[in-house]
Amino acid sequence: MSRRDFSERDIHMALDGELPGDERTAYEAWLEANAEMKAKSARYAADRAALRAAFNGVLDEPVPVRLNKVVLGEASVVRAAPSRSRWWLAVAAAAMLVIGGAGGYLAGIGGLGLENRAEDQLAEEAIAAHVIYAAEKRHAVEVPASDKDHLQSWLSNQVGLKLVAPDLAAQGFQLVGGRLLPAGQGKAAMLLYEDDKGARISLFVTAESAAKAKGTYGSEEDGPAAIYWLDKGYGCAVVGSLPRERLAAVAKSAYGQLLAALQS
Amino acid sequence: MDEKKAAILGEIPRLRRYARSLLRDRDSADDLVQDCLERALVRLDNWQTGESPRRWLFTIMHHLFIDQMRKVNRRGEAAMLPLEASEAQAAPAEQVESIASREIVDALQAISPDRRAALVMVAIEGFSYAEAANILGVPAGTLMSRIARGREELRALLDDTARRRSIRIVEK
Repeated sequence: MSRRDFSERDIHMALDGELPGDERTAYEAWLEANAEMKAKSARYAADRAALRAAFNGVLDEPVPVRLNKVVLGEASVVRAAPSRSRWWLAVAAAAMLVIGGAGGYLAGIGGLGLENRAEDQLAEEAIAAHVIYAAEKRHAVEVPASDKDHLQSWLSNQVGLKLVAPDLAAQGFQLVGGRLLPAGQGKAAMLLYEDDKGARISLFVTAESAAKAKGTYGSEEDGPAAIYWLDKGYGCAVVGSLPRERLAAVAKSAYGQLLAALQS
Repeated sequence: MDEKKAAILGEIPRLRRYARSLLRDRDSADDLVQDCLERALVRLDNWQTGESPRRWLFTIMHHLFIDQMRKVNRRGEAAMLPLEASEAQAAPAEQVESIASREIVDALQAISPDRRAALVMVAIEGFSYAEAANILGVPAGTLMSRIARGREELRALLDDTARRRSIRIVEK
């Protein structure tokens, strides 16, 4: 029997049934003698079992009628436009994950909520407002932070929500001020914050939302990204060109404080 | 019903499973399957008698997936990413998933599409390296390295999830 050196590559081959039968015994012996490789092999085998278990249920689901109809020619091959565009939006999201590099951070996916475009609109409006006003030196806000109480009551009245300007000092951001903006058919409050290096983020809150969603939104370029959440009766987005982890930390803090005020 | 159509119908469950592993969202995945079936029917004459319907259909679907992925990359399409599943209070559960199952599905979505496709082809769909390389249109060596990298990446993400979960528990 020919002896050869095994490597991690053989772990994959053995797992996938690609290791030649006459090498199997030698491979098993090698695995027994290498605790680290043996552990690795066991983890990969467990992951594969988990993958299979996670997706095997799909085989037992009833096949959607529309799919059978395509094959049987009972339906016109033309499909409604909204449906047509949907799967590649999921592809777009997948592509984003790749660009995200490490990718894992925001990648824990709870279903891609692609049917509802309300969050698209919210995030786009919030990003547009941020791009315009965060770049403004002298006219970034209508009401400055020095007049915070008035700012809060004015925006609350205009938008129709009980708003507070969250305290983001723990994340390194101080309130600059706020302004009132149009949003969809209604109004939005924009709150602008700045850190000691001059980096700016904004919070965009509107009372218009029927949908429930949560996520992040951004272009592939280095432009600002939005982390948004929508619930019945309000929608909020946190926008900035920060590293995702930091933006997520800011959003989490802002979310907690805004929600506490809204529900008070 | 002719034989070819019957064979295609028989492959739909497998196509749906593969699409679901590529895209996760059920409706999006079924849309991809539908696009695949439509293209297959138009090209029914290209299907050589004797060629496995499974391999033929998987090849069509994979091309659709990859083409679209490239277009999206070129156009710089904006995309949405939901936050962590555990924090996505509003996301309706499409199916009852165990935590372990959800974690591995999340991790699978986070690895690169090329690696995901290669790994799924072999580990879930049970294609041989030669078949998978053929369907994906890459040399066997490329396929093998995608599988190896994919497994490593998947494991690293799962380890990371476990670590973050324990951190969160400590925080509370």
